[in-house]
Amino acid sequence: MPSFISNSRHPAVTCAKILFAICAALSICFEFLSDYLLKHHSETYARISQQYADALRVRPAKPGEPMSVLMVGNSLLLDGIDVDRLQKLTSSQLDIHPIFLEATGYYDWLYALRRLFQEGSRPQVVVLGVGVNAFLSNSVRREYAPLMFFDLKDTYNIASDLKMDRTGASNLLLEHSSAFWDTRSVLRMQILKHIVPHCGELFLLLKPQPPVPSEPEFGTIANPRLQQLRRMCEAYGAKLIILVPPTPASEDAVHEMTLASRSAGVETLVPLDPAVLPANYYQADAIHLNSEGAAIFTVALATCLPRQLLGHDAVASRD
Amino acid sequence: MLFDSPAFFLFLIPVVFFYWRMNHRAQNVFLLLASYFFYGWWDWRFLALMIGSTTMDFLIAQKIVPARQNPHRKQWFIFSLVLNFTILGIFKYFDFFAGSFVGMLDNLGLHHIPLPLIHVILPPGISFYTFQEVAYIVDVYKGRIEDSRTFYDYGLFISFFAHLIAGPIQRPGHLLPQTQNERTFDPDRFFDGLMLIFSGLIRKCIVADNCALLVDAVFGGQLGPPNFWVVLLGTYGFAWQVYGDFSGYSDIARGCAQLLGFHFMVNFRQPFLAHRLQDFWRRWHISLSTWLRDYLYIPMGGSRLGTWKTIKNLFLTMVLAGLWHGANWTFVIFGAIHGIVLPIERFFFPAKARAAANSVPAPPTGFFALWAQRILTFNILCLSLAFFRATSLHAAVQFLAGLSNFAWQPEYASAFFLLCLYSVPLFLIDLHLEATDQEYPFANTSYAFRTAMAASAFAALALFSGSNLNAFVYFQF
Repeated sequence: MPSFISNSRHPAVTCAKILFAICAALSICFEFLSDYLLKHHSETYARISQQYADALRVRPAKPGEPMSVLMVGNSLLLDGIDVDRLQKLTSSQLDIHPIFLEATGYYDWLYALRRLFQEGSRPQVVVLGVGVNAFLSNSVRREYAPLMFFDLKDTYNIASDLKMDRTGASNLLLEHSSAFWDTRSVLRMQILKHIVPHCGELFLLLKPQPPVPSEPEFGTIANPRLQQLRRMCEAYGAKLIILVPPTPASEDAVHEMTLASRSAGVETLVPLDPAVLPANYYQADAIHLNSEGAAIFTVALATCLPRQLLGHDAVASRD
Repeated sequence: MLFDSPAFFLFLIPVVFFYWRMNHRAQNVFLLLASYFFYGWWDWRFLALMIGSTTMDFLIAQKIVPARQNPHRKQWFIFSLVLNFTILGIFKYFDFFAGSFVGMLDNLGLHHIPLPLIHVILPPGISFYTFQEVAYIVDVYKGRIEDSRTFYDYGLFISFFAHLIAGPIQRPGHLLPQTQNERTFDPDRFFDGLMLIFSGLIRKCIVADNCALLVDAVFGGQLGPPNFWVVLLGTYGFAWQVYGDFSGYSDIARGCAQLLGFHFMVNFRQPFLAHRLQDFWRRWHISLSTWLRDYLYIPMGGSRLGTWKTIKNLFLTMVLAGLWHGANWTFVIFGAIHGIVLPIERFFFPAKARAAANSVPAPPTGFFALWAQRILTFNILCLSLAFFRATSLHAAVQFLAGLSNFAWQPEYASAFFLLCLYSVPLFLIDLHLEATDQEYPFANTSYAFRTAMAASAFAALALFSGSNLNAFVYFQF
């Protein structure tokens, strides 16, 4: 009977075995190295870990205390909100706890919020701001989110929600289980930034922007998602607010989002009408607000959010 | 199961491990079941179609063997061809032709013609395994090969997971005897198989997947409306993407086959170093181009029936080759461009001897003349690839219309740099392979050196692989 073992002294077989061992050893090294780099050198990991831990401690406000708000979203909020200023401007009325992770959308936050609630977080209000196209997109972020937001069971559910094939599902599972597999594209990006000039800007440009569907498809996608989020928040005693940050030429999308939210029984907050914000308040990618745009948006949010949550009179009396 | 996914290697390693501990009969049964599992991993519903089609051809082949003098053997032969092409036609082309027919009627003023579209998902690999089944039926009918006596051998020939989804399309005369005869473990070929897998992964995960980022952005409009530079970036990028993708797949397929004691034909031989389009088709997807030559072009008369019939045969073969790639007019135009350029080449650069009518004219001896012809051939190919990649004829024409605008944007520099970063190493490897006539880089060096190179390739794969797993381009065909 043919067998490897009978040929084990052949140099080709010996080298194949050595190669197999090297690959296994390299895999283990990459895993440990990624884990180390992630925990000691990744700003994103450090920020999200801290924000996540902070969010877990959120409890309903006692009488006389500011209302507890968990604010989650993607880079539109990360770049568009000056968190320190927002907290300062609203500190007497609201206790805001942010978690902002770039390139996230509906499914990332559905499962992240579910996990936060299950682990004990009890905000009175959840504000979700991911932009309309990210809210409607059928994807999850493949770096950080599987590792930091999802548990093992979630990966199966997400794979099912996103109708992934078995290969996609097994990769998501691996991204959840392995620091290296989860962050390998982040590592590659860091290396490329040192090799390719203006790599960061180029990759921002290369990133596809999912299109916003028009009615009735918009409502067909948005309504069940909004209702699911609302029911989940209500089950844990929280009120859901959809925050729609401005992006250029998004007036129609904002309008449709407002209508869909209204029909799903969810409040929307549009602090700034995208139509009134000129292009010079956006970054070169024409999507994210620059520092001046962020300053305007932060002030507008600090004005609108307490008003929406506490009502005109309450805000006035607290002021 | 994608060849570049961890799941595939979790499948492959135990398959190879247990396979070599079995006798020949058990090996075939085991591999056949493993191949069905591999295929069913995508969608088990299509397994029934493949097994049914395999079984039909296995049974029909026994009725058409010339030696058995079955009076109905010609009818059975035609029935098999009709059956195979009908299955392929329904699953792959029905909606395309029905939709095109309705569109044509619409243009003629006959609106709202109710023609049912079936909207069926294309079963993975159907074009590949159908072509293998047809080759088997034709070869048995012509008496070139014996029919297979056991279903396991024939089933394995059709369904072997290494070639099942995207080839290389195996010839019955080459692969079927390998399934029928006992295979012996050859350490050298086993090691070569490992090297081919690494070579394929580098081509797919580093070259193709990273070029795909640029190409998707170009064709998705993220780099702005098409202009000369964007078209250049898109077509050159796609050329390297599809080459890295498919040659990578073929290398992995051949590597997997060698781990299991089989040998597959070479499918790519440095195609971008071709000095003519005719030469290109002798280096690109060789298993398809030789299939089309042997089962379509030559039976139609090839180049034996005069100039005009040769032109017609070439054109038809290339249009059908284009259509084989997908049910879209873009693929027809892709094939038509090749079908027009190939006869022009034959006219201007005839083969020296008539006996060598099917051979490629010898490359020019001068360095500059050779490279000028290579660059011209590459650019003609890239022009046709614009149609191959575009989603519609309108999109392709609109894309190529941008060639007259030369407006430069600073971000193009980074994009071209990135394209060169991934494509130039593969180009250099191709130059090396062309000069040394090796199957993969460093094939003639010591085991230790190749082990070190493979370990380096593993590290490179870990650090430079494209971010997401992209399905192989040829899976859709």
